[in-house]
Amino acid sequence: MSIAPLVVFRIAFGLVMLLSTARYVRMGWVDTQLVNPVLHFSYYGFDWVQPLPRLGMYAVFCLMALSCIGILLGWYYRIAAILFFLCFSYVELIDITYYLNHYYFVSIISFLMIIVPAHRYFSLDVNRNPDLTLLEVPRWTIYIFKLQIAIVYCYAGLAKINHDWLVKALPLSIWLPAKTSVPLIGPIFQYKTTAYLFSWMGMLFDTFIIFGLMFRRTRWLAYVAVVIFHVLTGVLFQIGVFPIIMIFAVTIFFPGAFHQKLLNGIARLLKGPNRLLRNNTSRQALPIKTGKWLTGFLAFFFVFQLVFPWRYLLYPGNIFWTEEGYRFAWRVMLMEKAGTATFYVKDGENGREGSVINHQFLNPHQEKQMAMQPDLILQFAHFLDEYYRTRGMTDPVVRAEVWVTLNARPARLLIDPTVDLSTISDTWEPKDWITSFDDH
Amino acid sequence: MKKRINILLVILLFFAVSCTDDDDSNDHLGFDRAEMLQSLAENLIIPNFETLQTSVDGLHSAVNDFVANTNEVNLSSVRQAWVNAVTDHQHCSAFGFGPANLSLGPYASVLGVFPVSESKVESAITNPDFNLAGSFDRDLRGFYAVEYLIYGNGQTDAQLIAGFDRERKDYLTLITDELKTNFDNIANEWNTSYLQEFVASEGTAAGSSVSLLYNEFVKDYENLKNFKLELPAGLSAGQTASDGTLVEAFYSGISRDLIVEHFENSKNIYLGFSKGGQEIIGFEEYLASVEGGPQLITTTLEAIKQIDNAIANLPQGRLSDRVDATEVATLRDLLQDNTANFKSSMSSLLGISITFNSGDGD
Repeated sequence: MSIAPLVVFRIAFGLVMLLSTARYVRMGWVDTQLVNPVLHFSYYGFDWVQPLPRLGMYAVFCLMALSCIGILLGWYYRIAAILFFLCFSYVELIDITYYLNHYYFVSIISFLMIIVPAHRYFSLDVNRNPDLTLLEVPRWTIYIFKLQIAIVYCYAGLAKINHDWLVKALPLSIWLPAKTSVPLIGPIFQYKTTAYLFSWMGMLFDTFIIFGLMFRRTRWLAYVAVVIFHVLTGVLFQIGVFPIIMIFAVTIFFPGAFHQKLLNGIARLLKGPNRLLRNNTSRQALPIKTGKWLTGFLAFFFVFQLVFPWRYLLYPGNIFWTEEGYRFAWRVMLMEKAGTATFYVKDGENGREGSVINHQFLNPHQEKQMAMQPDLILQFAHFLDEYYRTRGMTDPVVRAEVWVTLNARPARLLIDPTVDLSTISDTWEPKDWITSFDDH
Repeated sequence: MKKRINILLVILLFFAVSCTDDDDSNDHLGFDRAEMLQSLAENLIIPNFETLQTSVDGLHSAVNDFVANTNEVNLSSVRQAWVNAVTDHQHCSAFGFGPANLSLGPYASVLGVFPVSESKVESAITNPDFNLAGSFDRDLRGFYAVEYLIYGNGQTDAQLIAGFDRERKDYLTLITDELKTNFDNIANEWNTSYLQEFVASEGTAAGSSVSLLYNEFVKDYENLKNFKLELPAGLSAGQTASDGTLVEAFYSGISRDLIVEHFENSKNIYLGFSKGGQEIIGFEEYLASVEGGPQLITTTLEAIKQIDNAIANLPQGRLSDRVDATEVATLRDLLQDNTANFKSSMSSLLGISITFNSGDGD
């Protein structure tokens, strides 16, 4: 199979990630999200991941930007890919309140980039060592990306097949009317019909687009749909570079000839690296061998990708309410949920109870995310337990009154407000202190 | 292509069904946010800032008179002018955005900070090199530093007047000047360029006028609960006792009146009333237009009624002497219960960004 799709994918990925990294720094998020917060909420099992001091964090972002350039140019590619994966995942793992499905997607893609030979054509590595040049790659090196993208779209689509989304057009009935000031198309968002149309189109798009991309006859049409869909969501919602990532990533479904033309175009445009295009076919050097361990690993990896999102079926209750098994499952833009959490800390000795001013410890984003997710409520309770212990309180009892609204329903208590959260530890087990959500 | 047309037909069919299902009048979910912004700005925000500008100006001239002729008559008129100004401040503290967002933050978090640090004020008075403009301290300036100077802490009026030496007078003038400069500027900017800018930004994203107004409204409401009630009453986590000196307006003793005024303004923003009680467009009207809104309004109105009652039941006289009263704790609890209505439920239904530029969503 032609290596060209992989090469274009490499260049696009490096470029978009470079932009994304620069944007993150420019928005000041290194400080506001990573350095300034008093505490960070960790991923289950990853509480050992801690932010570095300010200078260190900026160094990580410099390294990340450098590795993006390495990926983009195919310059010490393997090292760059590994570095990027490590830096990006490290930053991602610092605080779970910033969890985004598209960050998870980037982590996965950058991991897969490490194991494919995307630098063996049209790259500085090849320029340095022409013997590396490779024009044909095994199918799997391209199919793993297609499969991963297919999983993202299909699972995102399947997740939309639920009562609120399809029958009540929620949360789009909430989100769209707030967007009536969008230029040109704004006025249509004041109609409920629009919310229904967008809900159903969104579900159908996500679930079936991959089939459109797979076949030659429908590919261009499907790609136009991809562009329209992502541009629209990009305009409507604050989702950063995600639309751009997908618009580029999906091009991997186009055939090698298309990508070769693109590369020729780039070479012409840059008026120099024509020699990067040379077909060094005299020696098909260092062909890729697909070892048993790699096959086994990839099989395991994709079985995990396919199965893990379904873990929510093992938990009782409504997944939107408990969020047990919600993350890492491509549940994207699926619900409007918000809460107000008031924590009460009681001195175990004198019985005096007082409430906590959350924003003394949390930034607005952390507070918002924490106030509707049971596992984060628990983490904050543990932080408070320790905080007041070190300030001389004996055996603090920490409880929380958490009022949560889900898809425009009246707010109600998310967890049992009498339970002492400081005595509960987070596990994979169902959390029996979450209230039940019986809708009907 | 045929497949696509089929899918499209299915969708259209679905709409035909879903639309007849629904009451047709419900299809329209729109609300003119620009109209709400204009109504609030012209009938509540700007008039309130103008009133505050006038009363701060009154305070400024009263201070000048007092500094020129330091006697009990002028002291009493300076105090009256201060009461007027700080009362009007309650009707503006929720609007700490736009021109009222000073370089150190929303004006109430700079010029409306209590308790003041008496020691910082005293050392600023005696320090010849003290530079107010260059200072980042918030607890030695603003309304409550003026209050400390003109009411004193425990002295008789005669003692207070006797203690007003040149430096003390200079400092009083200095911090009153700062108030005047800022409120002149805020009112002026609202009246010249900012009104247009405010009304034009009618989206709901982070940084839009709706989001600024809403976020400051909620923050101001939480300040009422946290700083005017909870902390003085000793109801904050880790406190071992109440502390009357933490109330707002400790030296003058008008804390209770200010709480009444503060909540009055919260209600005006939510219910849509001018300060004089004229009906305008507020968040309630906006909520009434969205999914789940009417139900939230009912809940909120009930909560507001209870809060009004609890405020009426607050003990009369100096609140600092009565911070342990159960009525204080009751009011705190009721304000707390209503927080979810104002905070998460309202922003969720309205689709307002509650954080300012804090990241992407998905």
